[in-house]
Amino acid sequence: MRKRVFVFIAAAVIAAGPLFASGQQGASGAASGKPYEPSRNIEWVCTSGPGGGSDIFTRMITDIAGKEGISRANFLVVNKSDGGGEVGRAQVSQAAGPLADHTLITFNSGDLMPMLQNTSRRVKDFKIIAVMALDKQLLYVGKTSKYQSFQQVIDAIKAGKTVVVGGSKGDDVATFNLMLKECGWTEAQMPYITHNSSNEAITAILGDHIDIVVSKPAASAPYVEAGQLKPILALSNERYTGNLAAAPLLGEFKPYKNVEFPTWRGVAAPAAMSGEAQAYWSTVMEKVSKTDAWRTGYLDKFKLVGAFMPSQEATAYETKFEKDFMAAQGIK
Amino acid sequence: MENFVLLISGFQTVFDPINLAACLLGAILGLIVGAMPGIGSLAGCALLLPLTYKFNPNTAIIMLGALYYSNMYGGAFSAILLNVPGDSPAVMTAVDGYPMATRRGRPGQALFTANLASFIGGTIGMLILTFTGPALARVGLHFGPSEMAALLLVAMTSVGWLVGENPTKGIIVTLIGILIASIGMDTLTGSPRFNFGSLYLMGGIPFIPFVIGSVGFAQVIKIMASRKEAAVGQAFKTKLTIRGSLLTKAEILRLVPPAIRSGFLGCFVGVLPGAGATTGAFLGYAAQKAFKNKEPLGSGAVEGIAACESANNAAAAGAFAPLLALGIPGSGTGAVLLGGLMMWGLSPGPLLFTKSPDFAWGLISSLFLANIITLAIAVAIIPFLIKILSVPIKLMVPLITVVCFVGSYTSSNSMYGVVVMLASGILGYILDRNKYPIAPMLLAFVLEPLLEFNMRKAFIASQGSVSIFFTRPISLTLMVIFFLLILFPVLKAALRKARAYTSPK
Repeated sequence: MRKRVFVFIAAAVIAAGPLFASGQQGASGAASGKPYEPSRNIEWVCTSGPGGGSDIFTRMITDIAGKEGISRANFLVVNKSDGGGEVGRAQVSQAAGPLADHTLITFNSGDLMPMLQNTSRRVKDFKIIAVMALDKQLLYVGKTSKYQSFQQVIDAIKAGKTVVVGGSKGDDVATFNLMLKECGWTEAQMPYITHNSSNEAITAILGDHIDIVVSKPAASAPYVEAGQLKPILALSNERYTGNLAAAPLLGEFKPYKNVEFPTWRGVAAPAAMSGEAQAYWSTVMEKVSKTDAWRTGYLDKFKLVGAFMPSQEATAYETKFEKDFMAAQGIK
Repeated sequence: MENFVLLISGFQTVFDPINLAACLLGAILGLIVGAMPGIGSLAGCALLLPLTYKFNPNTAIIMLGALYYSNMYGGAFSAILLNVPGDSPAVMTAVDGYPMATRRGRPGQALFTANLASFIGGTIGMLILTFTGPALARVGLHFGPSEMAALLLVAMTSVGWLVGENPTKGIIVTLIGILIASIGMDTLTGSPRFNFGSLYLMGGIPFIPFVIGSVGFAQVIKIMASRKEAAVGQAFKTKLTIRGSLLTKAEILRLVPPAIRSGFLGCFVGVLPGAGATTGAFLGYAAQKAFKNKEPLGSGAVEGIAACESANNAAAAGAFAPLLALGIPGSGTGAVLLGGLMMWGLSPGPLLFTKSPDFAWGLISSLFLANIITLAIAVAIIPFLIKILSVPIKLMVPLITVVCFVGSYTSSNSMYGVVVMLASGILGYILDRNKYPIAPMLLAFVLEPLLEFNMRKAFIASQGSVSIFFTRPISLTLMVIFFLLILFPVLKAALRKARAYTSPK
């Protein structure tokens, strides 16, 4: 009798096995078919310090996403600036498992350029979520600077003088180099002093320690308004409006052509993030980019150009940026 | 006079009940954050900033300003009682504060000295900020790369006063400090230096874990290595009161002159772009070496604690001048506050005083109030703080170890900070065991990156010509001072020789 019971139970277990297995399969299939919803805290890595441009960008998005009910996720912004941000980027690109679907990183052109120069990590090592905004640079002089127009700068260079330029790192340097190449000038004629931030470079020109400063509109706006900085050249294909409208384009000084090096601010995720999660976050970013809070509270306030690109378009855009930058720098 | 009226109107803003509560809360949080090693004002303000986005801007800045300022008080607590600086400006406080608290058995007086000097330095800084803030900020603008490099060269000569009895050992540790500081990303070209392929080393050696390790954790190793030094915890069984912590009249008279001198010096350093409270404290201490001290500095002298504590508080107040008058952050914490200004919907920059006077003067007034509140709280809690020293050594060692681990982790949000702390702890212990002074290494570590960065910028601007240091009035003056300081011992010896040679005739 006992033997029969044992055989029965064994048969039942064996019979139920495939059923259980298929049930599990069904359950997991249903889970993967279900649209993604964040099921735990989202760790959003910002690879620069608190209070800076990237940090404000990150907190603005998380704030809007929460306030406007775009995502119910709980965002934990973590500033990881070790190794010039490379440690944070390495950790995010390698995150796997459930963590991959719950990790985001602020990823700007200013992050990509040093990453290409100093590491073997590339855009393909991340899932690109979106590009949110574009930014461009202008050249400014101070109230008491030696040169008061770009024509005077051209004349000074032609007369064999040295014009010292200052600016921040990354894209400011790249934009400056583009202009230098277009004008056919050398670094001896126009040396560039790298500062830790645009604010530091603006301090230098206010004290007349440099002749020209390269800056994005956001950092220079209060000084332009106060009459302490004057824009003398827009490194763009179109003239700016408002109090930057007086800045001519490089193409207006013949024979030079316009130069533009649009820098972008975007969001990325670990390479292992699922397609569903990538699509979800791309939609969240699109919704954020369409809010009034984003347009007035971020883009207008910091004078950025709204240019939302969803994941696929953003991936293509950033990959092309990477290819061009590597070619220009001779990086293989 | 006009500024005085505006300051009074600022007090009206601060005395609004909500703002007053924000100021009180900020002062208390600042003390706590400052006393916890590794967090510091930068992280404290950064952590609190997102919470203030929904506040009225005046309330928000009053709270953060009070936090930033009172943090300078808190940093001294753990430096004096545990020899673990709570924040980087408190590094020099530990040099005299810890010996006074432990070897001399006067922890209450050490804390009281730090509090009173902080109050004096802070008050001087705030008065200068009130009456000459915008003008001083403009003077600060004249300090370009060549002027800053010359000033830092002068500051570097103070290594000579910190080396102690054996100059060779002093030079060796200074060079170690310079070497360690040069690890990481080249700030001008962006290329990595001495990182041996490590992503962590690419960002350099973080200062806070380095200090916590080389000063605090080194001491843990030292106690563990020589078990007989268990006396640390035995000395303070008796109950200490506030009255028992007060200084004598003679000691107050010793404290006031260095506190006033360092107050002016620290405030000026705080105004300079990128210098900050830590440099202010180092310079204040180094300058004190040039004056007569009743007890030798480094042995628990009142003058030593007063000089650096007054300087770092004055520098913290001075750093607000370029931030408010020009929108230029004088320190890392200033940069966080600048980000805050933008998030609160204000435009930082030259028009802040004109466009948002309530905000700017409210902040300045709140600093005055925070200075008084923090002094009162800091003095009142002295008897409780001192209880730390009566903790038996067998508990003290794990306690300091935990503080070192937590502090170094918090400063960089990663285990890298802990690894740096452990490695520098071992380095600090080896140096101490072989009687190498630690202070010159820390001074070199702080000043070297600033000196290198400014010197290279100066050379780019002048296309490699040294004339830039001698053709601008401020840098020329500073270079003359630099050469006089270097040549003074040589000239003095030569003069003495000449006198000895001529006198027999």
